Amino acid sequence: MKAIAVTGVHFTYDDGTEALSGVDFHVSEGEFVAVLGSNGSGKTTLIGLLVGLLKAKSGRIAIGGQEIGSLSAEELYKRVGLVFQNPNDQLFAATVEEDVAFGPRNLNLPEEEVQARVTEVLTAVAALPLRGRAIHHLSFGEQKRVSLAGVLAMRPAVLILDEPTAGLDPAGEAQMMQLLKKLNREERMTVILATHSVDMLPLFANRIYVLDRGRVLQQGPSEEIFCHQEMIVRAKLRLPYVSRLMYEMKRHDGVPIDGLPLTIGEARAQLLELIPKEMILPGIEEIGP
Amino acid sequence: MDGIWTKKRYASRFAAVVAAIAGVLASLPAPAFAMHISEGLLPASWAVLWYVVAIPFVALGLRELQRRNEEFPYFKPLVGLVGAAVFLISCMPIPVPTAGTCSHPCGTGIAAILIGPGLTVVVASIALTLQALFLAHGGLTTLGANIVAMGVAGSYVGFGTWLIARRLGVPWIAAAFLAGLLSDWATYAMTSFELTAAFHAGSSFSAMFSLILIAFVPTQLPLGILEGILCAGALRFVRNRKPELLRMAAAGGAA
Amino acid sequence: MFDLFSDIFTYRDNALTRIDPRAKLVIALAALIAVLTAERVVLPLCVFGVCLGTVATLRIPAKLVTARLAAPLSIVAVLVVIQTFFTGTTPLFAFTVAGWHFTAKAEGLRQGALLGARVLGSVSVVFLLSVVTPAHRIFQAFRWFRISRNWLEIAILMYRYIFVLMDQVADLAAAQRLRLGYTARGRAMRSFTALAGSTIIHSLEQAKRTHDAMRLRGYRGTMPFGPLPALGRRDRLITALCLIGIVSARLLEWGVSK
Repeated sequence: MKAIAVTGVHFTYDDGTEALSGVDFHVSEGEFVAVLGSNGSGKTTLIGLLVGLLKAKSGRIAIGGQEIGSLSAEELYKRVGLVFQNPNDQLFAATVEEDVAFGPRNLNLPEEEVQARVTEVLTAVAALPLRGRAIHHLSFGEQKRVSLAGVLAMRPAVLILDEPTAGLDPAGEAQMMQLLKKLNREERMTVILATHSVDMLPLFANRIYVLDRGRVLQQGPSEEIFCHQEMIVRAKLRLPYVSRLMYEMKRHDGVPIDGLPLTIGEARAQLLELIPKEMILPGIEEIGP
Repeated sequence: MDGIWTKKRYASRFAAVVAAIAGVLASLPAPAFAMHISEGLLPASWAVLWYVVAIPFVALGLRELQRRNEEFPYFKPLVGLVGAAVFLISCMPIPVPTAGTCSHPCGTGIAAILIGPGLTVVVASIALTLQALFLAHGGLTTLGANIVAMGVAGSYVGFGTWLIARRLGVPWIAAAFLAGLLSDWATYAMTSFELTAAFHAGSSFSAMFSLILIAFVPTQLPLGILEGILCAGALRFVRNRKPELLRMAAAGGAA
Repeated sequence: MFDLFSDIFTYRDNALTRIDPRAKLVIALAALIAVLTAERVVLPLCVFGVCLGTVATLRIPAKLVTARLAAPLSIVAVLVVIQTFFTGTTPLFAFTVAGWHFTAKAEGLRQGALLGARVLGSVSVVFLLSVVTPAHRIFQAFRWFRISRNWLEIAILMYRYIFVLMDQVADLAAAQRLRLGYTARGRAMRSFTALAGSTIIHSLEQAKRTHDAMRLRGYRGTMPFGPLPALGRRDRLITALCLIGIVSARLLEWGVSK
């Protein structure tokens, strides 16, 4: 079953900017899909359409098999949840607890259920100790996680995130991605994230859509996408750094590398095979998996 | 008037009082905060009376909020955000040439142009409550009096000026200047009136009123002009950069 | 850039922050009424002393206390001076400055001192309340007092976004200063109006995004509020004791004044 089915969608803003021209975008239930694109590629517009903030001029958008226009607001927001890039857009209550409870209370749930959900989602994003804190006293990373919790509290089938790691430090970035992976693998939640940072994606995303100037340039698993160096450059993106290194070694130095490693683990495995055995001192220091 | 206050002595006393008040006001750490009547200053009966005057205006604004919120669902966030902006603007220090210190604008003029006078009263009542509770500016007991001075007098005079000036064909930038200027002065006149009403016992009302009014002049005359410049300048800034945003508010016809 | 809310203390855990905000609000209100109706300086000054002592016990930095009390204190000074020299009939002492005669009078001094004491007393009550109760708990208490829901919704949004806009504006002001935007009076005024203008632009754009985010979480024009917890026995007891204390102090003062 398709969680999201977008076919031939066009969108033009009031000022005449054509943001999307004929986009097809399909996501199955339980998938982890990344929408990769530079600034102004149409990522945010696509997201706006998926959550009903914008209305497509032409084309079809179906969420969970139903036309988006036929869904009531409440049905729609139980199916898709959006985490904004800037947590300030989304954290409008005074405290963490009140903010996370906002969605469930709008669904008119009984108060015990509201409190249970708040506890559950705050635990899920590792933010339970922040429960009584004021939003304006949180760090940026904490704000990001709390805004994710606020959306999770609606229990959406599809979770959409706009630049979830933008502005986070490396530890925060890793924590956020691990969290999303856990939601996807353990809770079977469909995750769609829009981003232009490529390094983390091969580790997490099942599939990648590359968007450029309102069109889908290519879509497929990350191995396939990052093989097309020229397409990636044309979309004003880049390869993950480790792939770039391996690509250069293969092309300019003739190092015999199979395909293109996308993660540090893959690259390491390949290099270990190529480096003469006598140069490797096994067991100097154990590295985790 | 007291018998001992002969005409000549009255004149010299009058001058002395004006000089004294003006001098002290100018040397206060934050002269504009004298603009809000301080916590505990008004006697209980006057505090209650000004509450009674203020509440209908706030209620009127809240009814308008409810009505327009049904029409435009984004209206509450809009009023809240404009309120936050005006609150911050009113905390920005502006240099007052005559006092040699910094003072603060009221921001009611620009708020009235953006969201209309009714909602400006609501926003002002919240801003004043927050200031009274957390910044010791104004007060809970004097909240009613301060809402009447800053919210009611400031925003209705500011908005009325804007409306009349626009009807008369005055260019919007001049209209905004006048709205800022007069809303500021109206606030001061009202504050002076409230202080006089509470404290004129023993001397004549008009004498004390003009006395307090004149005492405010050295700081308030220029501050009102600065407020006018601020109001016009800020409106020009928004109109030049993002005119479409003014349509969102669209209450004061600023767009 | 701005000396704004220092609500960090309200999140500390102490005996006063644990009291229900409704109880604190009722007690504060009673204390304000007592101070405002006092006819002698003793009661307001006692309230001032108790509040200041409590604030000191809570180890609120002296800098914050003086910052908050500076404006009211200077108002008190002005009041005492003006009332002493310009009202009343019984002369205390007199002096001449630059040809102007000043005569201090007993009734004026008394009246000025009373006004001053009332200001100090009531300001300290509210200050104490504000360092032991965070804003959102006060809003919660307001709900119990049947303050209009719409008013509270706007208040909550305003309070939250003051901090967001403040961050944005502070960055902008710093950028202006770095580019020497405040070095001459004309330029300072231009920088200032630009700052105010962009605060408004930020706020209008933020309003749209915030409303979008609210809508996506089921907002339909009314913010949902959770239920108010019942007032605990301990809080009721504290309120009753404090009210009895305040009323008896006020009655005692009334007896003495007569």
